[in-house]
Amino acid sequence: MTIPRSRRTFLRDLGLSGASLPFVAGLPSLQAAQDGARRQRLIIVFSPNGTLPPHFWQDSPGALKELKSILEPLAPYKDRMLMLKGLNNKIRGDGDGHQRGMSCLLTGIELLPGNIQGGSDTPAGWASGISIDQEIKNFLQNDPSTRTRFGSLEFGVAVPARADNWTRMVYAGSNKPVAPVDDPYQMLNRLYGQNKDRATLAGLLDDVREDLSKVSSRISSEDQQRLKDHLELVRAMESELKATENGKNLIHPEPELDPNIELVNDNTPEISRMQIDLLVNSLANDMCRVASLQYMRSVGQARMRWLDVNEGHHSLSHEPDKNKTAQEKLLRINKWFAGEIAYLASKLDGLPEPGADGTMLDHTTIMWTNELGKGNSHSQNDIPFVLLGGGSDFKMGMAHDFGGQPHNRLLVSLAHSFGHEIQHFGNKSQCKDGPLKLT
Amino acid sequence: MRSSYLRFFLIALLITGGALGQPDGRKIYLTHCASCHGDKGQGAKDEYEEPLWGRKSVESLARYIDRAMPEEKEEAVVDEDAHAVARYIHEEFYSPAAQLRNRPPRIDLLRLTNEQFRQSAADLIESFKRPQTFVPERGLRGRYFNVEKMNKEKEHILERIDPAIDFHWGGGVPAEKINQNGFSVRWSGSLLAPETGLYQFRVRTHNSALFLLNSFRGDDDKNSFIDAYVSTRNESHEKTGSKFLLGGRGYPVYLRYFTYKEKTASLHLEWKPPGGIWEAIPSDYLMPEILDTVTVVGTKFPPDDRSLGYERGSGVSKEWQQASTYAAVELVNHLISHLGTVSGLSKEQRQDPAALRSYAHQFAARAFRRPLDVEQQEKFVDRRFNNQADPMVALRHSMLLVLTSPHFLYPGLADNYGRPDSYTVASRLALILWDGLPDKKLLHAAGAGTLQSPEQITSQIQRMVLNEKTRRKMQGFFRQWLALDEQHDLQKDHELFPGFDEQLVRDLRRSLEHFVDEVVWGERSDYRDLLLGEHIFLNERLATFYGAAPLQGDALRKVTLPNRPNSGVLTHPFLLAAHSYHDNTSPIHRGVFISRNVLGRLLKPPVEAVAFKDDEFDPTLTMREKITQLTKATSCMECHRIINPVGFSLENFDAVGRHRLEDNRKPVDTVTRYINEYEREVPIGSIHDVASMAAGSRLAHEAFITHLFHHFTKQSINAYGADTKASLHAKFVKSGYNIRSLLVELTKVAVSHETEANPLAAK
Repeated sequence: MTIPRSRRTFLRDLGLSGASLPFVAGLPSLQAAQDGARRQRLIIVFSPNGTLPPHFWQDSPGALKELKSILEPLAPYKDRMLMLKGLNNKIRGDGDGHQRGMSCLLTGIELLPGNIQGGSDTPAGWASGISIDQEIKNFLQNDPSTRTRFGSLEFGVAVPARADNWTRMVYAGSNKPVAPVDDPYQMLNRLYGQNKDRATLAGLLDDVREDLSKVSSRISSEDQQRLKDHLELVRAMESELKATENGKNLIHPEPELDPNIELVNDNTPEISRMQIDLLVNSLANDMCRVASLQYMRSVGQARMRWLDVNEGHHSLSHEPDKNKTAQEKLLRINKWFAGEIAYLASKLDGLPEPGADGTMLDHTTIMWTNELGKGNSHSQNDIPFVLLGGGSDFKMGMAHDFGGQPHNRLLVSLAHSFGHEIQHFGNKSQCKDGPLKLT
Repeated sequence: MRSSYLRFFLIALLITGGALGQPDGRKIYLTHCASCHGDKGQGAKDEYEEPLWGRKSVESLARYIDRAMPEEKEEAVVDEDAHAVARYIHEEFYSPAAQLRNRPPRIDLLRLTNEQFRQSAADLIESFKRPQTFVPERGLRGRYFNVEKMNKEKEHILERIDPAIDFHWGGGVPAEKINQNGFSVRWSGSLLAPETGLYQFRVRTHNSALFLLNSFRGDDDKNSFIDAYVSTRNESHEKTGSKFLLGGRGYPVYLRYFTYKEKTASLHLEWKPPGGIWEAIPSDYLMPEILDTVTVVGTKFPPDDRSLGYERGSGVSKEWQQASTYAAVELVNHLISHLGTVSGLSKEQRQDPAALRSYAHQFAARAFRRPLDVEQQEKFVDRRFNNQADPMVALRHSMLLVLTSPHFLYPGLADNYGRPDSYTVASRLALILWDGLPDKKLLHAAGAGTLQSPEQITSQIQRMVLNEKTRRKMQGFFRQWLALDEQHDLQKDHELFPGFDEQLVRDLRRSLEHFVDEVVWGERSDYRDLLLGEHIFLNERLATFYGAAPLQGDALRKVTLPNRPNSGVLTHPFLLAAHSYHDNTSPIHRGVFISRNVLGRLLKPPVEAVAFKDDEFDPTLTMREKITQLTKATSCMECHRIINPVGFSLENFDAVGRHRLEDNRKPVDTVTRYINEYEREVPIGSIHDVASMAAGSRLAHEAFITHLFHHFTKQSINAYGADTKASLHAKFVKSGYNIRSLLVELTKVAVSHETEANPLAAK
């Protein structure tokens, strides 16, 4: 049990005197200790084209016993996992199954009529409401004690460049899709770009000064004044930058990325790990409390040659159950996704939670999901929802079967787990029975 | 204005104060100081060689002298004596004001202006790419397809040039054989930015559109600047974006559109240029030829100094130093992440440390406008690559150092002492005519040493003058000379002048720019046509408002306004309206503007600032009568005898520049007498007489020459020798007042002057 302590006691325990207070103020972990509030986080992971139900779901509900083959990589976290079967994406209206599967997944609301024609049904536009991650992010950002620099970060891996309702699951509001960033270098720059620039500059200004004074000595005295002024300003900038450098105290160092990974399909495994590292790092430095990680897109056609699969993922997912080769390949694909989630969980589990008991995973909910229940039937029933970690007050280590409840109820439960007690989310009529009973 | 009088008065008091029994500063200086500092503070050889010039106040100088001067005899000059000496040297030669008075203007070592920084950065990158070439054709090239399954192009129907993207097809189709149920169009070409600034763009459609600006076609979706791909309920939706663009350059444009199973089809590509209004991008600014991308620095800079009447890089402030440093960071980040497209290096070369190092050498030499010396090679490039394991980090450091170096920021440092060599000439040519860096042709000529003879230089200037970048700079000159930049929000009383709205103002402004362009770049390029030209450019809206024969459409056409005196820019409604009150004319504003900028008269600031308050006059008076009454005092008339006649000659044009015969129900009287610079009275019947006077006046010519010289060179014309103005004037007259030749001649003067070695720095 954690005994709440005042900031001052905590600092004394660490042997820090009052004089070092301004220095320490930059440390996010110590700030968390100060307000005593628990840090809760949510990470939503998406992978496309449905799962293979027999290799995914436990045969009967109850305590989570043995994990099926797709989930094997997650075995170390079995006690902290929750399998949620029997949740259906019941949102109908415009758009085909993949479009609705994607854009209604986190919004729980219909698509606007629009001009994007899918493989069947009527054409459709963007989702007509906010997604649950953004809802929770807004809730946290509205409270100064849970506010962070970014609020939420949207990561992607191998997401195609086109912006449409097959590629967007996060919505800031009706008609307002949010694009995931699938370039780790771009993300790194967003997180740390300015720091990096400052550090580079601080290292070079010495040479700039030398250059200026040298030139200055060679020109007429009338012109010297201007360069002298310039030199003074460079000197001032240098000391300002050095001061910022010294005050910069990230609890976790800025991650180093291998600079030579090209953003191409075959490098997906490396890109995935880079994105996960960045995601964990941004959470550890408390830059956001909500994040999403989107692999490809609904109907994704990634060719996972690193798994010896040369066909496109979506085409494979259409193959009938009796096609054993296709089933085996899909198994490999889904297991690979589970492995990435296991990597994410292990990273979080390897970091102690700043100012609280346990690891970061104990304060984080990872939700892994998909736009379809099953690929070849295009069913939006039994959407594969797996929850992992201790970020909620849900009773973990369970396998539930809700027998066909609207998935909106799960979205409401997620909000409740953050203390955001909304009565409904997305389509109201799908929320009549309130949140799921998970505690 | 008044405060400068006050300051002068105080200084005068201080000086006379010296005569009232106080210590004699001059005497003390000559006794105790001159042996080391020289009799005029110029320094003495083997003693103190630095001249006594600086920015300390009298008080601070006095304190210093009291404490520390003369060296080793500090007690010799203290208290009152120290103060007297300080006052003396401050007034005589130490202060900036004294320097200006004692020394004729010199060619200053200036930093790049903001425009020059941006243009130079873009030129630096362009020097590694395909240079931009403009074609005369206008509009965008569109390829039209019928589609199946949403946006799958099935059948190519036609290709054509569309002058503008401003379509409301409704339930119809763009052309025969196009299928209403589903069609797509791909447009390509370039956008031409007339001036530097922030441009806003807007795509409006009932359907689906992607707009790419200044990016490559290859990975277009990723780079789409405005994404209006997904529509809702076939309703009109709009998406906007803004981009900072450099004037005088073109930017590649791709626009993709489709509609599928929708009742209504439409597409509008619109912009709001700096100081402009929302409108479909006019065809004048679209070109079907696809140009290479331009590297644009977006960092915001503090405004440049304009205290001498033209922008120059004289201010080195904290804001500027930070902006220029962060601009360098922005640029280098961009270069590193787009190295493949900006460097011209192949993928293999980009992995090769030697190739990257060689690129860094070239980059530095082009930024510094001449080959690096051995020391520079080591400092700016080799040391970076030798000390860094990662060549990309080395390249980043090298480029950052180059772009923050005085050798890049102060172009004058590229000059050699003595007779300018070819690199100096190339550097100066690019800066004067383009505000930028030498292009490939200049670099080549500089490398070959073929920028030496007057013929070689002239032929380069003649080539460069026709470039779009010179046109941009020339337009900037006219914006300054005609004070257009001060008129971004021209509004008039809606009840008195219905129809004088922002569209009309935009058209007027464009009409004036068109007129000036036509004069400058037409065959004659005759300065006198600016003042005497009888035509004007009008479109439908302007023709209706100003009572010309009816015209149709937005395009400007050359016409003559009937039944009114027409005198080039002087009677252009934009300038007449700009120099008026919101509800009435203003002979003073019009008179001051023409006297100063066009006639070249020197007008002192008013002795007393008097506001024009309309309700304080007898309501039956005309504007002319009111102004006459207001300025009748002798002290006013010293200048107003020049200003008023010029202003009165335009009284037959109202506050929006329409012709009128009556003012306040009395006939307008434009007949006056003007006092010229030789104190002779000149009878004025109408604005024609003022214009003819200006066209034939040496003072007016010299004013024009001086303005043009300052705008292009950013240096004082007097710094190039006392007779420069006269010799340029002689050439101007001989050429038949040819503006383009004048630009060629003044550029020749400015590129050929010799930089004197600094005797003190030589050691």
